[in-house]
Amino acid sequence: MEKKLAVYICTGCGIGDALDIDQLSNLATSDLSVPICRTHANLCSQEGAQLIRDDMANEGVNSLVIAACSPRVMYDVFNFDGVIMERVNLREQVVWCQPPKEEDTQMMAEDYMRMGVTKATKMDLPEPYKPEEELSRDILVVGGGLTGLTASLEAVKAGFSVVLVEKQAELGGFQKKVAKKVTFPYKDIQDNDIDQLIQSVQQNDKIKVYTGAKVEKLVGGPCVFNLTVAQNGSTFEHRIGAVVQAAGWEPYDPAKLDAKLGYGASPNVITNVQFEEMSLAGSITRPSDQQAVKNVAFLQCAGQRDPNYLPYCSATCCFTALKQAIQIKQQNPGSNVFVFFKEMRTPGQGEDFYRKAQEEGVIFVRSQDPEVLVRGSKIEVQAFDELLGDTVLLGDLDLVVLATGMVPRTAFGEDCRAKEKKEGEPEVEVPQDAILASDILNLQYRQGPELPGLQFGFPDSHFICFPYESRRTGIYPAGPVRRPMGVANSIDDATGAVMKAIQCIELTSRGLAVHPRAGDASYPEFFMQRCTQCKRCTEECPFGAINEDEKGNPLPQPTRCRRCGVCMGACPERIISFKNYSVAMIGDTIKSINVPEEYDEKPRILVLACENDAYPALDMVGLRRMTYNAWVRVLPVRCLGSMNLVWVADTLSKGIDGVLLLGCQHGENYQCHFIKGSELANIRLSKVKETLDRLVLESDRVRFETVAITDYDKLPALLDEYAEKLNEIGPNPYKGY
Amino acid sequence: MSNRVDPTLITELEHFGLKDAHKCYNCGNCTAICPLSTPENPFPRKMVRLIQLGQRDKLLEAPEPWLCYYCGDCSTRCPRGADPGETMMVMRRYLTSLYDWTGFARKFYTSERFEIMAIAIVAVLVGLGLLLFNTGKPNWDHAAINSLWPAEHIEIADLIMGGILSFLLLSNVFRCFRIIMGKMAFKIPLRYYASEAKELLIHTLTQKRFSQCTDRMQWFVHLMIMTGYSSVFLLVVVFIRWFQRDHIEYAIWHPVRLVGYYATFAILYGTTYAIIGRLKKSKAPYKNSHPTDWMFLILLQLTTLTGIFIHFTRLLDWPATTYFLYVIHMMVAVPMLVLEVPFAKWAHLAYRPVVVFLLKVKERYAQETAAPATAEAVVEGAIS
Ligand code: SF4
Ligand code: SF4
Ligand code: SF4
Ligand code: SF4
Repeated sequence: MEKKLAVYICTGCGIGDALDIDQLSNLATSDLSVPICRTHANLCSQEGAQLIRDDMANEGVNSLVIAACSPRVMYDVFNFDGVIMERVNLREQVVWCQPPKEEDTQMMAEDYMRMGVTKATKMDLPEPYKPEEELSRDILVVGGGLTGLTASLEAVKAGFSVVLVEKQAELGGFQKKVAKKVTFPYKDIQDNDIDQLIQSVQQNDKIKVYTGAKVEKLVGGPCVFNLTVAQNGSTFEHRIGAVVQAAGWEPYDPAKLDAKLGYGASPNVITNVQFEEMSLAGSITRPSDQQAVKNVAFLQCAGQRDPNYLPYCSATCCFTALKQAIQIKQQNPGSNVFVFFKEMRTPGQGEDFYRKAQEEGVIFVRSQDPEVLVRGSKIEVQAFDELLGDTVLLGDLDLVVLATGMVPRTAFGEDCRAKEKKEGEPEVEVPQDAILASDILNLQYRQGPELPGLQFGFPDSHFICFPYESRRTGIYPAGPVRRPMGVANSIDDATGAVMKAIQCIELTSRGLAVHPRAGDASYPEFFMQRCTQCKRCTEECPFGAINEDEKGNPLPQPTRCRRCGVCMGACPERIISFKNYSVAMIGDTIKSINVPEEYDEKPRILVLACENDAYPALDMVGLRRMTYNAWVRVLPVRCLGSMNLVWVADTLSKGIDGVLLLGCQHGENYQCHFIKGSELANIRLSKVKETLDRLVLESDRVRFETVAITDYDKLPALLDEYAEKLNEIGPNPYKGY
Repeated sequence: MSNRVDPTLITELEHFGLKDAHKCYNCGNCTAICPLSTPENPFPRKMVRLIQLGQRDKLLEAPEPWLCYYCGDCSTRCPRGADPGETMMVMRRYLTSLYDWTGFARKFYTSERFEIMAIAIVAVLVGLGLLLFNTGKPNWDHAAINSLWPAEHIEIADLIMGGILSFLLLSNVFRCFRIIMGKMAFKIPLRYYASEAKELLIHTLTQKRFSQCTDRMQWFVHLMIMTGYSSVFLLVVVFIRWFQRDHIEYAIWHPVRLVGYYATFAILYGTTYAIIGRLKKSKAPYKNSHPTDWMFLILLQLTTLTGIFIHFTRLLDWPATTYFLYVIHMMVAVPMLVLEVPFAKWAHLAYRPVVVFLLKVKERYAQETAAPATAEAVVEGAIS
């Protein structure tokens, strides 16, 4: 495609007042030899957008550089099909954060113009990825419990077909094992209606149900999954678009509990799960002799929220205890029911349910450390009541119910990391995902057969920022396997995850990326001739999107790809690139920055800013009209993980005085949209520092900082302080070369 | 003291009128709002908690119920409708029954039937007594009560009754003293008791703690009933010779007449206010009415009303009506005194000031015995 470039400078929003626009357009047309450069007082108006459209129609313009506001705003106005577009952020990151009419401000704007034009010159128009094979639109639901059943029905309601695979012989999951349920409006215990749900799933001809079955194999990626289901010794094949993983949970093993909770010491000390079994079988009696129960104690957090047992709150056991306590009270109003709790966690409307239990006469005892004393057939509970400030002893107990917690099904199975290490392989410093072979999805991915976990075995992405997302594209965990939850949340979850699956199918079938770069048409292309089989890309891809053939060649699976560019940053041969994002393109963009001579005393700082948090944070600085150092030149990157070390070399050899990487927090409470991009960037950087030291270039010139979008107020000081530090170090000796 | 949870306590207290204590989630708003609760003796939340946890022994020793005058602020503020004020009232009934060694109080409180029967029996006995024991020479020309039941005779009956009542009440008060003081009962030297005695008197007469409550009307009504009742009690028991006269011979400013009028007015005003309040459930303390609450008000008001009628029939000089009303008057007044004073609501008249007094004694004793110890500690601290 013959490129015809045009630059449009908006002079509104204070841009025209703060900058010398003539000089800027002069730069574009003469120095940068852009054939067309127009200014407009209000480019985002209809008239402004029409100006661009007219040029596209009449002048054959097909590459646009729009020098106006931040690319994060007005994207709906500056939305033109089939053209290359680069936005130069003159508003938020120049005139709103720099003093007007100053030489340094003008220089900053001009550098951004150079960078924008360079980028537009170097990039190509992405073409959406279209695989040869037929794309499937069916949804696989793994797990036929409440979540899975709801998800299946929701998917059908939205017009999709479903394959439902359940391990047990019958549908219903854990809900099938309980007598009563607790959910909105939390006024009383409710009858369990799981059977109706099962029936509507079974009667639905758009849902293919496999019970007593498992996913034997899942190959491919979104819209091109090949599923093999094993049932009764036979196998069945399906093509799948996206997956909802609702494998559910298992109760924590009570045998592992602290002996002082009395489990095992008497048949009358049971778990909440055993209580359900009894309740389903009829009435609640004393397990030892089937006599009526009169005095009952519930002990909450039996192992939960204790680092030695189950470190997290299981979210449902408080509700369950209330439900069971009410059941006992309703069975026999003369019974005495005590609930020993650390904290009663019944958030929101759940408070009404707690109130209900109180009204039934259940007595609550706040105690951190209750102890069950079993002496023969006598059971007592001794507890320090925090409200009384004294220890009380509850005797003559017929039944003690321990509230054990939820363990996600993904937390069982051998850790895949250990056996991955082979002799002679180059050592990878990349932190490996925790994947347990839990026999749920059996993915045929090079990176392991299941969803990676973050903490406690939950297949988590970032459950606050990105609910239902996992680190495997097109596979969305829902229900208690994602985090502990009860009936109400599981239904929400099922709906949310199906929504995600549908989005995935819709976008993938159009060749576009899913969250977080939803709609991106570019994808990584590998220049395989030069690949050295170093495995960097396959190891570092946070989403396991790259398989491997027998010879060790990477086999990219574009429908699994999130377009983060981590592979591009990882590849030492620099053979991975996107049509509109490549190592060379960014390298040239860096080199287009004008570096003044040393005696000008105008140092330059390159800031490689993550597009997701750091860049918007810098926009916020402008929005709040805070100012920062004028030597800064910001270059947005898809993810810090896409940073290739050669950029640092490019920067320093150009004579730029320092490189600052601004990315998201990584580690346990990561905020990185691509999970470990910023962490990988940091690891790479630590290596470059050694090299810098060898080149007698101060390693302080390169810095890594994590910022959240809410940290914007700290940025000016951070940038100023870094500039000050570089001033101390002195000018880059490569200036002028 | 056992810390054993007795789950039957809460159900037992239901017979004393407990209703909503299980709804309490121990937020402590009630204790915060209560104008009478102190850091040393916090209530009512703590009492509610003790009940919930079936801590019988601790409840028995608790002085707090007597420190509450039932202004009802706590019940109004309780976010859970747990009615802590009423719980305090229940505790007073319960404690009254525990202090009473005869076991009569317990029956009285826990069985409405027993209560009515007891009052009826005493009333009938009084009626019969008056019919059987009289001079047999009534003055049919003029209304002259003394002609049938001379004041000297009544005085003797009064003294006998007073003796029995005092014995019962005092023996119960003594038990209350033992329970509240616990091990300290005979350890604290007498002079402490003596020096705090003034407090006892002041409290009994003015109920000044009650006036700290936000709703001063409650204090006022309570004070009216209490002073009215006490003064008329003195008139009929101690000053019966001067009170029961056949002729209106005193001038209007004569103390006996003044006191009589005051008592009549005060009791009528107080009881009417309380009865209307209870009927309308106008405020927290009136929301829940135990049978004994009604019985007390009704007997008191009936006594007063019959008293007033007698006053008029005497003025009108209607002998037969006067004698008839006199019998009725006595049939109401005596059971009220005999049953309520040692065993029921009226007993708090003794327990409350006594407990306040005992707490003061304890406090004073603790202060004075602790003071040197701290001084020593200070010196020690300074040396080391
Ligand atoms: S829901 Fe309640 S019992 Fe369960 S872990 Fe959380 S706090 Fe503990
Ligand atoms: S690293 Fe990112 S861009 Fe590369 S294959 Fe994986 S998901 Fe795609
Ligand atoms: S205010 Fe009510 S709920 Fe709160 S502690 Fe007092 S009685 Fe209990
Ligand atoms: S009724 Fe009044 S005095 Fe009694 S506990 Fe409640 S607030 Fe305190």
